[in-house]
Order: sequence, then C-alpha cells, then structure tokens
Amino acid sequence: MIELKNDGLQFSFPEVHKEARLDIDFQRTLRIPDDGSNHPLPPGLGSFPLQHVDDFADDISERWLTHGGVMLPMYQSEAMWLNFSARGNGFPYPVAVKIATGKINAVTGEEWENGLHADPQDYVVVPEQPWLDGYCVEKGIIRQFVAMPLGAGYTAEEQITGEAEHGGIQVIAYPMRREAYEEHRKKWKVEGWGPNVMGQMCLGSIQEDAAMYDMGLAPGGRMRQEIYDDPYEFNEWDTENASRCFVHIANSMVWRSITGKNPPTTPPTSREYTKAGLPWFEYYSDGEAIDGSGILAGLKSVIQIGQKKGDVPLPENESVTPGNVVQLRAGLRPGQVREGQF
Amino acid sequence: MSDDTRTFGDYVRGHREALRETDRTYSVRQVAGRIGIEPSYLSKVERGHVPPPSEATVVRLAEALGEDPDVLLALAGKVSSDLKDAIRRRPQLFGELIRELRDLPDHAVLKLVREVRDGDW
Repeated sequence: MIELKNDGLQFSFPEVHKEARLDIDFQRTLRIPDDGSNHPLPPGLGSFPLQHVDDFADDISERWLTHGGVMLPMYQSEAMWLNFSARGNGFPYPVAVKIATGKINAVTGEEWENGLHADPQDYVVVPEQPWLDGYCVEKGIIRQFVAMPLGAGYTAEEQITGEAEHGGIQVIAYPMRREAYEEHRKKWKVEGWGPNVMGQMCLGSIQEDAAMYDMGLAPGGRMRQEIYDDPYEFNEWDTENASRCFVHIANSMVWRSITGKNPPTTPPTSREYTKAGLPWFEYYSDGEAIDGSGILAGLKSVIQIGQKKGDVPLPENESVTPGNVVQLRAGLRPGQVREGQF
Repeated sequence: MSDDTRTFGDYVRGHREALRETDRTYSVRQVAGRIGIEPSYLSKVERGHVPPPSEATVVRLAEALGEDPDVLLALAGKVSSDLKDAIRRRPQLFGELIRELRDLPDHAVLKLVREVRDGDW
C-alpha cells in the first residue's frame, strides 16, 4: 500500500514483512547548467508538496483521474530529484524501484511495463541507490530531470515515442522476498554490516492536445551519478507484491487555481547558489555502476532542442564552477538528504 | 520513575543501540548533537532518570532514529499537537471513532487508512 505522508510517498508491504517500507520524496533543487560539462550533485531544497488527485477532481483532467495517484507543482524548466529511504530496524529492507517519466524508463529508456528485468537492469535498488537525479545516459553520468510543458517536444517521452501522451512520473516498487531478507539479516547481524553500509559504501510529431498545465520531464544538464548494479540475486525480489503510483506534474502557475495553495518559490539559479559558497555534493560508494542506456544517450538535451527550434527554453543557463563540494560516503542516516539552505 | 518514563527510555536506547551496531554515528553524543540536546540529557532520558522530552524533541529524536514520531510520542505519554487539534475541532466525532476502533484488529483499522489510489495507466 502507498500512503501520502509529509509530502512523501510511503510504500509499505505489511503482507510481506513489517519492516518492508520505502519512503520516496521529490526534492526541489537547482537546475544545473545544460552546457555539456559534468557537474557534481546539487542540493535538496525541500520536498515538493504532494496532493491526492482525487481531492481536486473538479479542477483536473479526466485523464489524471483515470491514472489515479498524486500530483505536485513544478515551474517550467525547474529541476527535481527523487530521494529514496528504506526503513527497517537496524538493517534497511531492500526494495527494487522502477522509475519512468512519461512512461519511459529512466534507467533503460524502454517503454513502461510492469515487472522487473535483470538484463538490462531496469530498476534501482534501495538503500544502495540513495537518490536518482535524472536519466542514465552513460555509465556514471545522468542528465538531470527538468520540467517542460507536455506537447512542446522536449520531454524524453516525446523524443522517444513522438507523442505527448502521459507526462508525469511513474513509480513501481517491489520488496525483497521475506525469506531472502531474513537470510540476509542473519548474515548482516553476524558480520556487523548491512546494505546501508555495504552498498552505500531521444523528434517526432507532437500532439497539441495535452492540457496546458500538464508537465513532463526532459533531459537537462549532465551530472556525475552512478546507477548501482543490483547486488542481490534476481529471484530474491518479491514480484508478486508490488505497489505503483502515477505522480502527475502540474505547472506551478496553475497549482494555486487547482489547490488554493501557493506552490513553493522558484529555486535559486546555479550561479547564485555557487556564488553564495553553498555546497554541492559528490557521492562515493563501492557499489558497481551499470552502463548507461543507448536509447537515453541518444536524447537531445533541453538546450539542444531549444537551439534547433530557435527557442530559449532555459533562462540563466550560465556555466558554473562549484567550489564548495562536500563528499558524502556510503552509510547515510535514515532519511538523510543532501541539504542546502538558501 | 513512572512506567512511561522507563518504557520510553528503554525503547529509545534499544533502537539507538541496534542502529549503532552497524553505524558508529549512533552514539549518545552524536545522536544528541544531531537533535540539538546535551548528551548527558539524552543519557538520562534513556535511563529513565528524567521524564521524556518535549514533543518537538521527541519528533526530532524519532526522525534521527528513523522511527515513527507517533509511536515515540505515544511511548512518551504524549499525543502530537496535530492530533490534539483534530480532536479539539471535532471532539464528539473523533471520540466516538477512537472508541469504536480501539478493539478492532490492525488489519481492519488499516482499511481506514487513506491509500494513494492507483488507476488505469
């Protein structure tokens, strides 16, 4: 089951194990420059607010209601990252999580299907993967998730399928099988370490009928981030027990008219943030990284498409040289975020 | 020392020490530092020598230990202020609801929890 708690999605699988829990929240962040260079990790500036779509049935499209799930506000060209926390008494309960945007898998670039695939691996493993900031375009490199209006031709979905049909973010989570967890737990207890220590140590025709407020995610600037190889046996995942959620993205400009609440303010630019001497991050782990996706590597970034169209899709895209880079190592505290105040 | 005080302290110490088995940053000193209290005070709380701390501190402690704040608050003999507000606003309705639900098994109560609805996509 999935509950909406404190602007996050709380997945729990009480039918599998009482410790099988996963929290996902969607972090506001800087948009890194889309200038071809590789950047460190930007900070988390707090979670985007989440609402049940059912609570605003009169003000949203029939399509969103059919999908069910939740919604959050983003400004055009705003960036985000997904923050994952596994729970569990002492030893976090491993959960396999598949993430798509516009029903395009963010790790493989393949179109959405339920279920997990090992080759190529189409999911991330939490807690080994503490966060996901974008599309896995090369081994160790992602392109940042950047919100663009659905129908304008920038999103990964439109570049790959030629259609602006789904938008939003899709998440499905599979817990580890109970017996497999219990076996690992015994071993971790004896050895004195757990997964938190071990692992953490693509333009076609564009439809014009998408609602004005409907946003999708597009590939932005390049960032150093590894997507870790699954360190467990594939048959240890409990594929019978999954929970999934459609996360819709509403343009922040209409969020107030839908919900009556103000969206968060716009985040600072990378330049302002860097100039203020605030921290960027690098994450180190012993985990093996998987290769990038050939499909996703073929995507054009927002700036590249803008140049082709003669648009300026990203205001303030000046390059920056982060000076204050904080190194994070494996073994984050439960719920720890890359914190940056502004 | 009341039973509440002892139960709360034992629970906190048990969980902190379980986390410390795999991560040394769960020492009394470092956990206290992360939630902004003196290590000696956290140590007294854990040993049940002083009553549980304020609601805000209990919530920070729950976050630091990856625990549910409502569980820790209940062990501290407290109810979170948002729940108190909810009851104050509709005392009769919530009073009745809690009395109706108190003896139901967990799985029956869980049916009342609001799940995020999955639709067709």
